[in-house]
Amino acid sequence: MNFLVLVKQVPDTEKVKIDPISGTMVREGLDVTMNPLDSHALELAVSLKEKLNGSVTVLSMGPMNTIDVLRDAIALGADRAILLSDSALAGSDTWATSLALAKAIEKLNIAFDLMICGEKSTDGETGQVGIELATLLNLPVVTYVSELIELGSNFVLVKRSIEDAHEVWKAPLPACLCVLKSVAEPRLPTLAGKKTAMDAKIEIYDTESIGINREEVGLKGSPTRVVKVFNTKIARNCRIYADKDILEGIERVVGLIKAVRDGEAK
Amino acid sequence: MRVVDELIRLLGVENVKFDPEELEKYSHDETSGVEAQIPLAVVFPTSTEQVSMILRWANERRVPIVPRGAGTGLSAGAVPTKDSIVVSLERMNRIVEFDEENMTITVEPGVITGEIQKIAEEHGLFYAGDPASSESSSIGGNVAENAGGVKVIKYGPTSFHVLGLEVVLPTGEIVTFGGKTLKNVTGYDLVRLFVGSEGTLGIVTKIILRLVPKPKCAAVLLVPFRDIEDALLCVPKVLSQSGVLPASIEFMDKASSEMASRFLNESIPNPEAECHLIFELESTSKQSLTREYIELGEKLMQMKALEVYIADNRTQRMKIWRFRKAIAEGIIAFRPTHCMEDVVVPTANMPKLVVSAYDIARRFDLEVLNFGHVGDGNVHVTFLKPDGMSDDVWKRSLEKALEELYKITVQLEGNLTGEHGVGLKRKKYLSMFLQEKELALMRSIKRLFDPNNILNPGKIFPD
Ligand SMILES: Cc1cc2nc3c(=O)[nH]c(=O)nc-3n(C[C@@H](O)[C@H](O)[C@H](O)COP(=O)(O)OP(=O)(O)OC[C@H]3O[C@@H](n4cnc5c(N)ncnc54)[C@H](O)[C@@H]3O)c2cc1C
Ligand SMILES: Cc1cc2nc3c(=O)[nH]c(=O)nc-3n(C[C@H](O)[C@H](O)[C@H](O)COP(=O)(O)OP(=O)(O)OC[C@H]3O[C@@H](n4cnc5c(N)ncnc54)[C@H](O)[C@@H]3O)c2cc1C
Repeated sequence: MNFLVLVKQVPDTEKVKIDPISGTMVREGLDVTMNPLDSHALELAVSLKEKLNGSVTVLSMGPMNTIDVLRDAIALGADRAILLSDSALAGSDTWATSLALAKAIEKLNIAFDLMICGEKSTDGETGQVGIELATLLNLPVVTYVSELIELGSNFVLVKRSIEDAHEVWKAPLPACLCVLKSVAEPRLPTLAGKKTAMDAKIEIYDTESIGINREEVGLKGSPTRVVKVFNTKIARNCRIYADKDILEGIERVVGLIKAVRDGEAK
Repeated sequence: MRVVDELIRLLGVENVKFDPEELEKYSHDETSGVEAQIPLAVVFPTSTEQVSMILRWANERRVPIVPRGAGTGLSAGAVPTKDSIVVSLERMNRIVEFDEENMTITVEPGVITGEIQKIAEEHGLFYAGDPASSESSSIGGNVAENAGGVKVIKYGPTSFHVLGLEVVLPTGEIVTFGGKTLKNVTGYDLVRLFVGSEGTLGIVTKIILRLVPKPKCAAVLLVPFRDIEDALLCVPKVLSQSGVLPASIEFMDKASSEMASRFLNESIPNPEAECHLIFELESTSKQSLTREYIELGEKLMQMKALEVYIADNRTQRMKIWRFRKAIAEGIIAFRPTHCMEDVVVPTANMPKLVVSAYDIARRFDLEVLNFGHVGDGNVHVTFLKPDGMSDDVWKRSLEKALEELYKITVQLEGNLTGEHGVGLKRKKYLSMFLQEKELALMRSIKRLFDPNNILNPGKIFPD
């Protein structure tokens, strides 16, 4: 069974800072790391490979420092790592990103039974790339996968999390899954893994070698225009009951609990 | 109500609390097994002048005063004495000055340690004091206890970072010691005397801290071992032979990591291991860091490690540190009847100490877990009351177990407490570790600063 995992590099920081003037993310001085949600996707693939044999390929589009992230993926058990990097790709939106990744997969003829993406990136956070990519490759796709129940020789059975319920979906292979954290808990890399990663060959391709038209990607090929980025202020109506009005507060809370319970009873 | 009325007149009603529910919160810290004591009132000064007013008044009226930071102490240092007033420094929490060029930060005592770390890091600098309680303890409490933590081998305990202090003496006088210079031998080193004085000599109202350059990159190694002695024997060897000084070397035995796993609801790699060591390495570049962790990792594999896990990005590093930092919280949450010790021995004597701790627990039918800062010889031997043991038996067995533990610590050239302090919890054992003359000198220092014994009375010294 062969797996293809899509990983994005993101800044290694707790808080993403947005430059108030340009509206873009402040990336200076920040190390890059694997999008934390993608590390769950990778763990799912590696643990399945260990059980079923086969291979795990990781693919990423990003600047050259993405090599470090791909080495981390090898240290964690990936067998092959491919980077798509070219200045022409800078500024790509989700459409252009998906297009470039889809072309790379086709051109390089990457064979896989299951393609696994993270739920979303921690910086761009659109959660679109996996779905667009599956659509471009004409693959069935299940999003918000919370658990892989069974992987058969020609199907995959998964649990999909929706607002207040689960759905169970069965998809024919090859298929694409966009997975939530709960699918697998990422392991820590071992010394042996780190050493393998140090010597591993990372395959690097540019737009020309893949046959991507430079006009179709990057800022030019991106229909999305970011007009303005701003922080939304969530104003919560917080009322603190203390001292004199504490009894009123208790009554209010009891009332709220009752209302919920009555609602549930109906 | 007279004392309280006077305090209200002195500080304004908004800075005094005396309703019983509020007072309860200030009647204890995080130390298990020490009886709580409700104070007469808690006051919240907002300036050095107010602290001075309080102490002058208390000294005249002979009212006992108990300084308090965030109340996370593990030696009952902030637990009130009978009929005392607690002076909580929590509202004195301003950053007074950030001096980037001199690499210092001046803060009030109520600032939470983690906030100082954050501010320093935002400026590319580093505050190296890092107790496991950094997200909750106050810097004033760190200074008063000379708190240690997980980076002591490389950066030293809190005293290494304190350059200057503003202190209000028990008489109400305001004095300053030291300043922003990195060295200073103009007379006796009163800064060092005050750091670690457990709130018995004066109330600290301002602290000048030294910052250092922020390490460019770091890696954390999690290393399981089948055998505890094998693990502990590595530590002095790594320190003396590897040519790199790790920022941390921490130890957690199986019972400790199980406690942390339960608290976090997360499993640790190689849960079957008898213990795990944690190493943190810092370096100036990724290349040199990689070289160093591979070298260290290979050495550890030769020294019978079961595996070496390497975390070199923030997410992975935090994953490992979370386990270590959750142990004490797990103990407090799940096994409230316990006794967390803080003995410290020369690093090479560590294995003997830990092995004895298991032996002592067996002899007295207690449960025990061991974790701590093995890089500096400081283990938190923690005895737990087994389910079903009566309170009486627990108290008696614990007393005997502690005595044995301390005897062995003395034999191993160690000391009673490495970082948590004496407080109320350990005062009756002080004379096992100090000579008579030493103790007498310390008592006269206390009398010199606090002739009427109003400041944190009953702490440190045996009755
Ligand atoms: C402040 C800001 C400004 C922006 N400005 C512009 C702009 O000016 N013009 C513009 O066109 N776009 C802009 N973008 C969007 C763009 O850069 C997206 O971040 C990018 O297209 C990927 O989408 P995403 O990060 O939302 O990934 P998501 O769709 O959230 O990612 C889902 C999954 O897809 C996979 N994946 C995503 N990206 C990659 C990748 N590069 N390589 C491999 N796998 C991947 C991963 O598995 C990931 O978990 C901006 C974004 C931000 C936050
Ligand atoms: C989960 C957990 C983990 C911990 N980990 C560590 C660790 O790794 N290393 C370590 O060293 N400690 C550790 N501790 C112990 C504790 O956090 C430290 O001793 C800390 O320094 C106490 O700070 P505090 O602000 O809570 O002080 P408090 O508990 O409020 O007071 C401690 C002592 O300081 C005195 N004091 C407080 N403020 C002042 C002041 N401004 N002037 C004069 N005296 C003052 C008090 O009178 C008291 O004697 C841990 C505690 C917990 C609960």
